[in-house]
Amino acid sequence: MPSHPEGILESSDPTSEENPRTQDHQPDLQKLHIQSSETDSGKASQDSALDNGHDDSGEFVVTMLARSKVEEQGMGTKDASSPLSETGTPLGPPSHRNEDVTADSWRQHRKHVFVLSEAGKPIYSRYGSEEALSSTMGVMMALVSFVQSGDNTIRSVYSDEHTVVFTQRGPLVLVSVSSSRQSEQQLRQELLYVYNQIVSMLTQASITRIFEHKKNYDLRRLLAGSEKILDGLLNLVDSDPSILLSAVHCLPLASSLRDSLSQILQKSITPNLVFSILIAKNQLLTIVQEKTVIEDARLEPSDLHLLLNLIGASSAFQAGEIWTPICLPSFNPDCYFYAYISYLDPPECTVCLVLLSTDKEAFYSVAECKRKIEEAMQTQNALNSIAKAHLYSVSQVGVSDLRHFMYKPFDVPDNHRQLTQFTSPEMEAPYSSEEERMRLLDLYRDMHSRIHSTSRPLKLIYHVAERETLLAWVTSKFELYTCFSPLVTKTCAINAITKLLRWIKKEEDRLFIRYPPKYSTTPNPSKSSKSDAH
Amino acid sequence: MSLLGKFRKFISGSFTATVGIGFTVMLLGDSAVGKTCVLVRFKDGAFLGGNFIATVGIDFRNKVVTVDNTKVKLQMWDTAGQERFRSVTHAYYRDAQALLLLYDITRKSSFDNIRAWLTEIYEYAQKDVVIMLLGNKSDMAAERVITYEEGQKLAKQYGVPFMETSAKTGVNVELAFQAIARELKQRGAQQPTEPKFKIHDYIESQKQKSSCCSGLM
Repeated sequence: MPSHPEGILESSDPTSEENPRTQDHQPDLQKLHIQSSETDSGKASQDSALDNGHDDSGEFVVTMLARSKVEEQGMGTKDASSPLSETGTPLGPPSHRNEDVTADSWRQHRKHVFVLSEAGKPIYSRYGSEEALSSTMGVMMALVSFVQSGDNTIRSVYSDEHTVVFTQRGPLVLVSVSSSRQSEQQLRQELLYVYNQIVSMLTQASITRIFEHKKNYDLRRLLAGSEKILDGLLNLVDSDPSILLSAVHCLPLASSLRDSLSQILQKSITPNLVFSILIAKNQLLTIVQEKTVIEDARLEPSDLHLLLNLIGASSAFQAGEIWTPICLPSFNPDCYFYAYISYLDPPECTVCLVLLSTDKEAFYSVAECKRKIEEAMQTQNALNSIAKAHLYSVSQVGVSDLRHFMYKPFDVPDNHRQLTQFTSPEMEAPYSSEEERMRLLDLYRDMHSRIHSTSRPLKLIYHVAERETLLAWVTSKFELYTCFSPLVTKTCAINAITKLLRWIKKEEDRLFIRYPPKYSTTPNPSKSSKSDAH
Repeated sequence: MSLLGKFRKFISGSFTATVGIGFTVMLLGDSAVGKTCVLVRFKDGAFLGGNFIATVGIDFRNKVVTVDNTKVKLQMWDTAGQERFRSVTHAYYRDAQALLLLYDITRKSSFDNIRAWLTEIYEYAQKDVVIMLLGNKSDMAAERVITYEEGQKLAKQYGVPFMETSAKTGVNVELAFQAIARELKQRGAQQPTEPKFKIHDYIESQKQKSSCCSGLM
């Protein structure tokens, strides 16, 4: 195949890759693949299973084909300021939206994410405006539907430097083009997060309904202004291990303080209140849940991540009280909750209260709950105590050579109703720069993908990398990733881990929410709170 | 009215008790016309320049203004212009005593949608709601596509007061809220014999036409 010499089209039916139509379109897709090896070299671990072979002639073809597309794309960029997109004031600084999609810098982004409708209409692109990319997205859709016409599903395309992962959810197609060397599984999970964030804003039911009515609907009409939320999510996905671990990070806090905060939330309730959540510095302080609701379905970490991201992305309006419909897709993808969001410490805005109700009209009564919570916190001087809480340093563990770790227990009491949590110290030197932090996360991601590999799952990995040594270990009770200085010995590392586990056990009450409190607000228990229509 | 409705009235009553009279004002209009910017200009005297961050759902703030030595508390609801939030915004129109309806003088679509907004308002809002039409971004003379006269004409058709504002420079922003507060206060305390406060006349007498628009007319 001349246009795609080193690519492997992975699909459950190998015959589909032979078709000439697919080949016609591949040049378009290929231009996403233009080499970005320089920016990425060294990030992946040395003994990574990925193959590093080069095929210069293939890349040459790709570059030529990409050039031939330049003019067409240039026309597209002019449309970027159409009123429909409504993405920015003319005075705004240039964002990724206005990026020139024909520029090399655009191609060199580490990870692109595209969302399109089944009709091939662009919905979202992480970089560059969707209009300018409409032909590219058209090609993606052509690929998807071509493979579909053979009763098959396209899952991924591997090339030298990039992994392209496709996933379809209802009428939406999501595509990730990544040079990050993450596993297909991880990239797919990230796409699912993007899909769920869209669902959290619109609900799955309404997305389905809209496209049933009008196949060529431009979903950006409904998402206008929400690009920041998706951008924020993708940044979070890249920079925060919570999504990788599917667990919630809570702020370490003396258990007595956490309990008293929970009690305050427990006392300030109103009918149809379902979740009361207190967040500080983007990390969970405590969460109180409605008893009957939580018997129906548990709150998934992913839903909480989406909620936290939504709050983080709209942080410009920290002075007011926000009331907004939000869907928690893992809880129920078709219904809305109504979220009351307010910061308790303006203008610093680090402590945020989120109250979720099933009643659309409950703003005033929920706002009254906030007033009560605020009052109670004031009498206990809780804000001051919260302000003192912060992440811990790895040095507190008292194990030399240990630089960083991530620990996710499975044995929290009341586990089946419990939020999955993890704990991790601050990233300190040598991981204090953005780049180094990313490098460590990449190492973790690589370890994670090998531990969770579908073909050959591992329980224990001892990995000596260039600048550090890592050890990952999964048991029935926990999942642990540790990072040591490079000269540590295996015995040393194992001893360190024993000490670390002992330390975590000792600090458990401070590091985790151990017994998530509940309240009862449903006036009539037979009425399921999930039946709230949107 | 439902029990919930009574409860809501009770709550808003208790909050007015602390400062005299309280009213609910909502800002409406298409996405990115500058609702939040106008509100922030009025509340904090600042301009939220640079970044456009769409309002999520509805956002709620308070400000006390003084009208003829009486304190009037405005409970201001900043709404999301985006379509997907209409369902929540509808639910709160009907309790609003005043609506500020905004369009962007540099974007025709936002002006064209004003008729749709007004139709919706008449459907959901209280019968005696105070409405005011604002053409925002009047500082952006070079990009103007809707003239002052066009705005005025539309406002006349619907019998609502009109002015052009700029959240960036602050032109007429204070006035818009002052006029609303005056009108609301008059309505609230009006005796049958008292002469009616004429919001139109008040605005006309106070309004400063932004210099940039006269050039284009």
